[in-house]
Amino acid sequence: MNNNLRNYLSIAFAFFLFVGIVAGFQCCSSDTGGFIKAKEFGGENEIVLTTSQPVQDNIAPESFTVFEENDPDILMHPSKIEKGVDQKNNPTLTLSFADPLNQSNTHVVKAPELVPGTGPINLEVARSYLAFLVSIFIANLLINNYVFTKYLGLCVFMGTSKRKKTATGMGIVFTIVMLVSAVMSWLVNTYILQPFHLDFLQVVVFIGLVSLTVQAVDTILRKVNPILFNSFGVFLVLVIANCIIIAVPLYMANNHYNLIETIMLALGAGGGFLLALYLMSNVRERLELAPIPESFRGLPIAFVMAGQFALAFLGFSGLQIL
Amino acid sequence: MERGCGGKPFLLAQKKRFSPTNTMSNTLTKGQLIARGVLSQNPIFKLALSMCPAVGMSTTVMNGLMLGIAVFFVQVFSSMTISLIKNFIHPRIRIPTYTLTIATWVTVIDLVLAAYLPAAYAEMGIFIKLIVAFAIITMRLETFACKESPSDSFFDAVGMGLGFMFGMVVIGFVRELLGAGTILAGTPIAIEVPIHPFLFFILPCAGFFVVGIMMAFFNWIEAKYNEGKTSNE
Amino acid sequence: MKQGAMKDIFMIVIKLTVTCLVAGIIMGAAFLLTHDAKEHNEQVRDEKVMLSILGYDKANPAPKTLALNTIYRYIVTRGETQSIGYVLSTETGTQFVELDLEGNFLKAYPISQEIDKLRKESDRTGAVQALISDGEVRYADNFIIAVNDGKRIAYILDGKYPGFKASIRVKMALDKNLSMLGFEVLEHEEDPGLGAEIKQKWFRGQFEGKSFEQLKTADVVKTPIPDDYRNAITGKIKGEEAQNIRAKHVGDPIHALTGATISSRSVLNGNKAMVTKFAYRIDKLDKALQQQGIKTPF
Repeated sequence: MNNNLRNYLSIAFAFFLFVGIVAGFQCCSSDTGGFIKAKEFGGENEIVLTTSQPVQDNIAPESFTVFEENDPDILMHPSKIEKGVDQKNNPTLTLSFADPLNQSNTHVVKAPELVPGTGPINLEVARSYLAFLVSIFIANLLINNYVFTKYLGLCVFMGTSKRKKTATGMGIVFTIVMLVSAVMSWLVNTYILQPFHLDFLQVVVFIGLVSLTVQAVDTILRKVNPILFNSFGVFLVLVIANCIIIAVPLYMANNHYNLIETIMLALGAGGGFLLALYLMSNVRERLELAPIPESFRGLPIAFVMAGQFALAFLGFSGLQIL
Repeated sequence: MERGCGGKPFLLAQKKRFSPTNTMSNTLTKGQLIARGVLSQNPIFKLALSMCPAVGMSTTVMNGLMLGIAVFFVQVFSSMTISLIKNFIHPRIRIPTYTLTIATWVTVIDLVLAAYLPAAYAEMGIFIKLIVAFAIITMRLETFACKESPSDSFFDAVGMGLGFMFGMVVIGFVRELLGAGTILAGTPIAIEVPIHPFLFFILPCAGFFVVGIMMAFFNWIEAKYNEGKTSNE
Repeated sequence: MKQGAMKDIFMIVIKLTVTCLVAGIIMGAAFLLTHDAKEHNEQVRDEKVMLSILGYDKANPAPKTLALNTIYRYIVTRGETQSIGYVLSTETGTQFVELDLEGNFLKAYPISQEIDKLRKESDRTGAVQALISDGEVRYADNFIIAVNDGKRIAYILDGKYPGFKASIRVKMALDKNLSMLGFEVLEHEEDPGLGAEIKQKWFRGQFEGKSFEQLKTADVVKTPIPDDYRNAITGKIKGEEAQNIRAKHVGDPIHALTGATISSRSVLNGNKAMVTKFAYRIDKLDKALQQQGIKTPF
C-alpha cells in the first residue's frame, strides 16, 4: 500500500513537472530577444524593462508612449524613468506612471532607438503566462479552497475525514478522477458544446463524463492493480456524489480556460480538497479523545472545526502571486 | 447484488444507513410523509445531506428560499418521473438513469430561472447547476421513488423539498438577522432590527459555525424530548 | 446464461437510448421555449439598470421622449497603423465613423442595417469587417448617450477593472458635464461581508455628484463615513436636508469599506480610469462629427 502510494505520487509529480516545463517553454519562447531582455510589471504603477546594455542617462519620459491594447488612442507617458540593475547585474529601466496601471490588460510600449543600432522599441507587456498558471493553481488550492471558501463537497468531506488514511486515499483518488474528467469535459466543451451552441447541455454532459470517468477508472484499476483497487476502490463511488467534481468543469467553461489552464484548475481543486481532508482528519482523530458535550458529538463539532479552518483560510484571501 | 456493477452496493449501503426506517414508509399517510421530510428526517439537520448549499447559500433568507424552491421543484419532478417509469428502468442502469433524470430537470429549471427570474438566477450562480450533485435528491429516488406509487412519491418529495427549504430559511434567518441586522432584505416586507450587525455571520466561514451549532441545538432538543418521555413512563 | 446476458445488454442499451432521447427532447423543448424570453428579459433588465442609475424608478418614471443611443467602439488594425471606429446612428442611417489615433476624421462608411439589429456582437462585427477590406477590426466596448427631447442628458458606460480577487464589472452614468451620476456593480467576486460590500448604497453613493475634477483627485481614506452623510445617501434623511448634507460632503475623499480598503481603492481607481478615457474620447468624437457635419440624434 505504501509503495503503491509512493508510485502514485511520483507519477503525479512527474506529470506536474512536465506541465510546468511545457508552460515554461511557452512562456520563454515569447521572449523578445535583442536589446530588451525582459519586460514585466513592477509595482502597481510600474513597468520594468531589462536591457542587454546600459542606456544613456537622460532619456525623456515623453519619448516613451504606452497604451493598453484596447485603447491605442489613449497614450500614457511615464512620469519618470529610473535606471537600475537587477539581481544578475543586468541594467534595468523602470517606467513609473502617475496612475496605477490596469495590469490585467496587455500594455504596448513604444519608444525610439535608445542605443544606436538596437532599433526602436515596440513590445507588449503582460502578466507572465507561467505566473498566471501558477496563480490558477494556488488560487484554487488555497485562496478559493473549494471546501473552506466555496463550501462545496461537504457531504463527502464530512464522511471521509474521520481517519487520516481514509482521508488521504479519498483525496488522491478524487484528484485523479478530477484531472481526467476535467480534461474530457474540456475536450467536449471546446469541440462539441461551444461550436454548436449547446451550452445549456453542460450539466448533463459534465455529470455524464464524471460517471464515465469513475466507471473507467474503476474497471481499469481492478484489472491492472487489484491491490490498489482494494485500498482505493471504495472511494470511487463517493466521487460522483461530490459537488466539486461538477463545479470544476462548470467553472472551466465559464472562464473559457484552455487545456493547460484546465489542468492547473483541476490539480488545484483536487489538491485543495486533499489538503482540506488531511487537515480535518488530523483534527478529528484528536477530537475523539476530547471531552465534548453530548449534543456536539459527531457532525456538529466537525462543522465548528471546519468553520475555524475556514476562518484561517480567509487569511489567504487576496494573496498575490504575480 | 453482484460485484459487477461497480461499487454500487457500497453506495446503496451508505444511503440505507442514513435512513434506516424508510423501507416501512408505504404505511405512512400523506400528511405523515410530508411531516417526516420536514421534521424527523429533515435533510439538512437530521440526515446531514446536501450540506454545501446549507453553508454556502444561506447568507440571507431570500437566497436560502430561492434555492430551496429550485430544489423543491427538481425533487418533485425527479421523484414523479422515476416513480412513473420505475418498471421501465433496468436495475443495472438504475444510477445512470437517476443521474440523467435529475440532470434533465436541473437543466430545465436552470433555463426557466435564467429566462424569467434573471436577478435571482445571478444571485444563486453556480449552485443552481450544482443541484445535480445534491445527495438528497438521488437518495430519495433510490430509497423511495423507485419502489412506491407516484402519489406517495409526490408527497415524499414535497416533504423533503419543504424540509430542505425550511432548513435553508432557518439558517438564512439566523445569519441575516445577526450578520446584517435585517430580515427578508430586498423584499417589500423587509424589517430592520435595531441591533448592531455582527459582520462575522455573513463571512463565508460563519455558515459552518451556524450549521454546527444548530445541529447541536436540534440534537439537544431531541435528547431533552426523549429524556422527558422516558421519565414520564 | 450467456444468451440471457446478451439479452440483458441489449435491453440496457435500448432503455438507455430511449431515456436519453426523451431527456434530450425535454431539454431541447425547454431551451426553445425559454430562449426568446431569456434574451428579451436580459434586455429589459439591462435597460432597468440603466434607468435606475440615471435616477428613474417607479415613482419617477423615465419620460417617453428619453432615447438611449448606443455607440460601439472598434479598433481597426491595418498592418502597423491602428485607428478607432465607432458604429453609431446618424440622421442618414447607421454609420461606421473611423478616426485616427489623434482623433482626426478618416472616413465614414454607411451600414445598411439599423443599429438595433446590430445588438448581437457577431452580427455587428461581421457588418463592420465587411466595410474594412484592408484591415482587421476588433470590438472594444460600447457606451450609451441618453437624450431627452433632443438634448444630451447623460452618458452610460460599461467597464471592467481588477478588484481585490477577480475583476469587477460595472455600469456607470455621467451627466453631460462628466460628473458622476452613479454606478452599479454588475459582477464581482469579492469576499462576502468584506469586499462584496462595494455593492452597498452608502459606498456607491459617495461617488454620486463628484465632478470629473473631484473624481480625478479623490483618494481613499480609512476613517469611517460621517453618520449624517451616510444617512443622507441611504435615504434615512430625506428632502432638502439630505441634499445639503451631500453637497457639503461631495468633495470628500472616499471613505473605505471596513476591512476592504483594497477593494475600495480598486473601485476608485477603476472608475477614475474609465471616466478619464471616456472624457478624452467623447471630446474627440464630438469634434470630428461636428467638423464633418455628420448629424446625429444625440
